[in-house]
Amino acid sequence: MRRPGLTPGRLDWLVTAVLALGTVLWLLGVEGRQGIGRDEAQYFRAGERYWGWFSELADNLEHGHPGRSFTASDIDRYWSDNAPDHPVVMKVLYGISWRMFHTCHCMDATRGFHPVAIRERHTTLPLFARESTAFRFPAILFAALLVGMVYRFARGWLPRGPSAVAAVLTLAQPHYFFHAQISCFDAPIAAMAFAVGFGYWKSLRDPRWGIATGVLFGIALGVKHNAWLIPFFLVPHYLWMRRGDLRARRLPRVPLVFVAMLVLAPPIFLAHWPWLWVSPVARTRAYVLRHLEHEHYNFEYLGFNFNQPPTTTKMKWIRATAPFVETGLTVPVTTLALAAIGAGVLARRRRGSAVQPESREAEAPTTELSSGLRASWLRPGADVDRAPGAFVLFQTLGPLTVLAVPSFPIFGGVKHFLAAMPYLALLAGIGLAALGRALAEALPAARARWRPAALAGLAVLVCLPALVETRRSHPDGLGHYNLLAGGFAGGASLGMNRQFWGYSVLPMLPDLDRRVPENRRLFWHDTLSDAISMYKRDGRLSLEVGDTGFGEEGIKRSELGILFYEKHWAKYEAWFWQYYGTTRPVYVRAREGVPMVTLYGRGR
Amino acid sequence: MSTRPSRRQLALGATVVIASLAVVETTVALVAPALAPSEADWAAAAAAVRAGFRPGDLIAAAPTWADPILRQHLGDLIPAEVAARMDDDRFARLWEVGQRGAHAPDAPWGAATVARDERFGRLRLRLLERAAETVSYDFAAHAADARVTRRDATGATVECQPAGERVSCPGAASVLLRRQLVEVDQKLRQALLTEPMSRAVLAIEFPAVPLGRALVIATGLHDTWMRKAARGTVAARLVVGDQTTALPLTTDDSGWTRTRVDTSARAGQIVPVRLEITSDNPYDRFFAFAAEARQ
Repeated sequence: MRRPGLTPGRLDWLVTAVLALGTVLWLLGVEGRQGIGRDEAQYFRAGERYWGWFSELADNLEHGHPGRSFTASDIDRYWSDNAPDHPVVMKVLYGISWRMFHTCHCMDATRGFHPVAIRERHTTLPLFARESTAFRFPAILFAALLVGMVYRFARGWLPRGPSAVAAVLTLAQPHYFFHAQISCFDAPIAAMAFAVGFGYWKSLRDPRWGIATGVLFGIALGVKHNAWLIPFFLVPHYLWMRRGDLRARRLPRVPLVFVAMLVLAPPIFLAHWPWLWVSPVARTRAYVLRHLEHEHYNFEYLGFNFNQPPTTTKMKWIRATAPFVETGLTVPVTTLALAAIGAGVLARRRRGSAVQPESREAEAPTTELSSGLRASWLRPGADVDRAPGAFVLFQTLGPLTVLAVPSFPIFGGVKHFLAAMPYLALLAGIGLAALGRALAEALPAARARWRPAALAGLAVLVCLPALVETRRSHPDGLGHYNLLAGGFAGGASLGMNRQFWGYSVLPMLPDLDRRVPENRRLFWHDTLSDAISMYKRDGRLSLEVGDTGFGEEGIKRSELGILFYEKHWAKYEAWFWQYYGTTRPVYVRAREGVPMVTLYGRGR
Repeated sequence: MSTRPSRRQLALGATVVIASLAVVETTVALVAPALAPSEADWAAAAAAVRAGFRPGDLIAAAPTWADPILRQHLGDLIPAEVAARMDDDRFARLWEVGQRGAHAPDAPWGAATVARDERFGRLRLRLLERAAETVSYDFAAHAADARVTRRDATGATVECQPAGERVSCPGAASVLLRRQLVEVDQKLRQALLTEPMSRAVLAIEFPAVPLGRALVIATGLHDTWMRKAARGTVAARLVVGDQTTALPLTTDDSGWTRTRVDTSARAGQIVPVRLEITSDNPYDRFFAFAAEARQ
């Protein structure tokens, strides 16, 4: 008996909301244990500085001369921070969120740690005790958005249970989870790439989504440059879906969705980033070249330190395996196994049949079924099978394959191809649905009443390892590897990257804070000064704790110093041994016995 | 009657496999953190090592990634020159503090005798003993004895003069020559560091080396960032008395390469040993080498 008012559609929205809310609560509940990396620290700074521009614009408006905010010098004063590196959708959101939701201690002793002058106490809705949490909140909302979208997308093909499992498995991946709670761009661009893919999929039979997808793509371009790749994963699917045209020796129609992406996205991109306004062509070019010519930072993979394109055939082959091996060793194994079954289900699907017997959406041509709607460039998927297998295949393997090119940098590890992960989770949902159907059929009719419980039990069971592994990995998600690798220790033995950009010092802060007076001359290694400032603003570090600067001179000047374990930092350890006169660390922060950060003290 | 399983049976089998996998993965994830050695395990193993330690012993962690934790407990017994050793061959005894089934490398420890084998919680302490090679001359420790010359393309040779940590050669820029902890292949080594010269042979000669049965030399390029910045290679040859040995070409990727020269025919003799270094492109090439004459 259906409860009054709770239609299937409303129930789905309720499930979507619960999944999204659960995501927000989980991430907000744990993000405080997650340290601040070099990149995130810069985005805090940039976000606050961008907010400064809006604040000044409001002042200028109030005083009747808004034009002052649009002069080249004024724009550059605020918007040249972190330019041309990254566009500003997320950083602006981080700045706005900080301004709205932080608990203001802005006029106390940390006043000088802000990148823009603080003239008065901020009036805010103080949702968060730490300023860093306020900065991170939009990224967490994007993670919630992605989880919700995966559920909504999956519901087109799957029953509620497997759809919800797909959504949960999207979040419950240690490396994605790591990125989902920090104010960077990798998890948000995964969300936006999925949004664009979702919109594209719907646009195949609904022109409204064609227009919407053009707008979504424009926003995605403003989130991170990974968005450039999205068309390369959509066009192959489109050509495959319309391969009948090619066989008939005619060009497929250029669909509305691609026209919208081409026409709407560039102006949205240009409009969103004031830094470009000063010199649109030159600065767009600088931005594009920044990434086409991006240097190769150091990254450990299978015991090798990659910091430039490999030159030998052997190393090129090893390097080419990186995205696939990293996926295979970081995503929970049960999720991978389910995804393999899901891929098999899609591969075996007959053209025109639904993804699952229970699917709401038909993949068969709908032209004759729908009231007079004709296939056209507005609905290019109406008269053909939409090829869901090819769609998921291109969206999953596309990001991995691009990063398999040996000349591409791999310094971000899994974060560079996070866009594949929601589709991997979707495949897992498809796999679970197939298993669930077999389980239900296997139960004799006399025990039919047990079917829902059995299916629910199976759904919970397959989520458990992912949830437990994800919880286990926190706050060192980048150093965590799955059952196949052998966890933290297995990853270390395989020579896999453990961390980057100095975030993993956070659990040591209370200890560092206590080490007075040596901590007045503290060498912070790879922790950026912006991160140290934020730790102080958050009240997690005494204001008196010093920073002796970077490199050999920084170690020479210091009394106490930390060293992040990454292969390429080995020579820093030599400097500690040399200048401190000891090889004996005073403390080693480890996870499951695997060193992450080493603390040295002079003369100890 | 067909014995092939039906699709339904296959699907059910897959369900059982997935469910079992989920149980195993969850269990391992819950249990694994407890399998790591505890602070108490390390303290107990360290106490046992201290009780039996003799000067000249080597202490090492297995796997090697546990080395920082090992040094936290026993670092006072592991000076920099031992931690950054050229190789293990000069050590007769190894205190191996192992975990998760890992052991010290087979070379040279595979054939060693296990003199002690104890467990301390999740750690396994083994004392390995073997007949070690005795070092009769450590080149890095005799950096001050080195005479440096530069020979240009015409064959003209000039004597270079020490200038602090550098040597200054007439008609050319000065180059480094100093003993230091170098980083080759992201590992630390105690070595001599120098720089090849443009269009010339840099010769570093140790005038009086008491030879043993072998002379072992290891070479490599120092510094990750320098290896990233440049691609030039370094060629070297070792001249022991009148015996010349071409060493493997040193490249960005060649790591820490050991070469063993048999000197048994001249064991007991004191001879000059010269290392001659050239490079096709010496820009940002920091050439590190360590060498020992061994009985």
